[in-house]
Amino acid sequence: MTEASGAWTDTTGGIRSRPLRLLRRILFSEYLVLYFTLFYIAAIWPFVPEIVSPTNLEDVFLQVLPLFIAAIGLMLVLMVAQIDLSATSIMAMACVVGASIMSEQGGYLAGSALAPLAAIAAFIAIGLAIGALNGVCTAYFGMPSFLVTLTTMMFFSGAAIWYTATHTDSGSSIGALPASFVEIGYGGIFGVPYAAIVTVVIAVGAHLALSRSLFGRWLFAVGINPRAAAISGVPVKPVIVGTFVLSGFLSSIAAIIYTGRLEAGTPILGQRILLDIIGAAVIGGVSLFGGSGKVSGVFFGVLFLSVVDNGLQLLGLSLSAVYAIKGAVILFAAVTDALRHRVLEKG
Amino acid sequence: MIMNRRQFSKTSLAAAAVTAMPGLARAEAPKTIALMFDAFDSDFWITGNSILKAKAKENGWNTLETISNRDQNKQNDQVKAMVERKVDGIIFIPTDNNAAIPAIRTANNANVPIIFFNRPPAANSNKYVAIQADNRKIMQITVTSLIDIAKKQGGKYKACLLMGDLGDNNAVQRRDGALDILDQNKDIVELVARVATEWNADKTFAGLTNAIQAHPDVNLLISPSDSEDAIIEQVLKSAGKWHKTGEEGHVLFSGFDGDQNGYNLLSTKYMDVNGVQNLFFEVDLAYGAFKDIWAGKQPQQMLIDPGFAISQATLEAKRDDMWGYHVWKEKNK
Repeated sequence: MTEASGAWTDTTGGIRSRPLRLLRRILFSEYLVLYFTLFYIAAIWPFVPEIVSPTNLEDVFLQVLPLFIAAIGLMLVLMVAQIDLSATSIMAMACVVGASIMSEQGGYLAGSALAPLAAIAAFIAIGLAIGALNGVCTAYFGMPSFLVTLTTMMFFSGAAIWYTATHTDSGSSIGALPASFVEIGYGGIFGVPYAAIVTVVIAVGAHLALSRSLFGRWLFAVGINPRAAAISGVPVKPVIVGTFVLSGFLSSIAAIIYTGRLEAGTPILGQRILLDIIGAAVIGGVSLFGGSGKVSGVFFGVLFLSVVDNGLQLLGLSLSAVYAIKGAVILFAAVTDALRHRVLEKG
Repeated sequence: MIMNRRQFSKTSLAAAAVTAMPGLARAEAPKTIALMFDAFDSDFWITGNSILKAKAKENGWNTLETISNRDQNKQNDQVKAMVERKVDGIIFIPTDNNAAIPAIRTANNANVPIIFFNRPPAANSNKYVAIQADNRKIMQITVTSLIDIAKKQGGKYKACLLMGDLGDNNAVQRRDGALDILDQNKDIVELVARVATEWNADKTFAGLTNAIQAHPDVNLLISPSDSEDAIIEQVLKSAGKWHKTGEEGHVLFSGFDGDQNGYNLLSTKYMDVNGVQNLFFEVDLAYGAFKDIWAGKQPQQMLIDPGFAISQATLEAKRDDMWGYHVWKEKNK
């Protein structure tokens, strides 16, 4: 390469200026979504300087945590070229069953010191059970995961509403949750929120599983080519079941945090965030066709969505404007990422 | 520089006035109110939002709006965003009365007054004000007026009671108000059908159709909300029971809310009575509560809109208080 007036010419004779090289480096960086987030903050800051206030940043960070956990679960399912539409219904069902156990007004273990623990066990058991149901139907009965999880989403959404109506006079939610459980939502230890501790453990565990474990390698193999994986000795069906079970488990953990924050078991918990979960994973680089995904990418996707949402909330815009702007911003990010991958694949 | 005493005094006063000006400017800065809705799924809320904005403007206040799309978790996060924007007050319409309690705590911690509009929270020990229509009382007045008309006409009646989503406290109160009066008038009115509509158009249609098929002689109908009037009209037309007052086969019909459909049906004599939530009064109550709180006074925690019933006979006299009439008037200019 030779330099001429600040521009570099490569061996083919093409000129690459420093700004272009910087732009290229940014566009093809694995931190592109993070750069989008920072750019968005910079763009909106003149209108709502509160977006960078310490309290607002703390609020955004806390909002990110349960969504990130649920998105990791979905990432695992997407990596094996499947989808889980029932994530939010798992949250709702787990939430109302858990609340019915520990509620201090008529709960099955009302007043007992074991109530929160029993409720948490119930949350997790429901997540695992529904996840297993989804996995078995998909892997062993050969049903499309879209259909399976769509029907379990509908069934358990309805079941959650029915369950709530039979366990409360108001019919809309189950309140009076014990203070010790509610602490999980926003409480912490030595200034570190419990939700953050749980999230970090899950994120690190997922990252290590994907990058260092046999299960992680199986996930990639099944996602890229399930037939080749089967021929190579990968237990494809148990792997697929495993991802759905993990997705269900992680949805139930997210539900625990959300329920602690709402201080009530509500059958419409998470009803509106399914697209946020899927969107965060896709923006974070998880392929809908399977075979690729990174925990850090999902984190950047969740952060981006949460910051966009926060900015629009601070602006106090009408709902139509919020949807339009959010959709446009996410579409821009997703299209840029897709084009980038296409260029990278072409080399 | 040498100053005499007079010059020093004048200079000090001028300096004090200049330093006090930012404080005065802050004190005169307009108030900002956050209008935080969960959804705009009926004319009641759309009109409520318009009235809230219009009256805020009359008071010289600015408004910020948020909608949570029925996501209580998102709405609780939106409260934090509005606190961050340093609003002076919050008008709050929650999705879930239990799960809204954390939002009250957020507002309390920031010393921002929070007023629940038309949907009070579940019982809790935090500081808030709730504006609520006495749905049970309004429905009692409405059904009493309807039965008075029935008594004047004479004869026996078979009633069908439509109920809203029983997860909504307003729907529960309206059902109870209707049953209170029906129970007192069993000699004239027999309740033959109860339809759980869950505020859903398809369920309203299916439920009412089934009820009329099972009881074709239903001649008194109580609706929990004017948002269901169009569906009721469809079903009654299909059953050959959609007649005006005075015509053979007219079904005594009461509505609730006081929206433009309700006004239209009253004025065209298909509906007999409507129970009206006085939206204008509720907004005045809310903004009056803000003014009291800002002045250091604590208003009552529950401020009640007693509402009223409006019938064909009282339509001209009372329609100016009916919010739906103003919407109808605007659309039919």
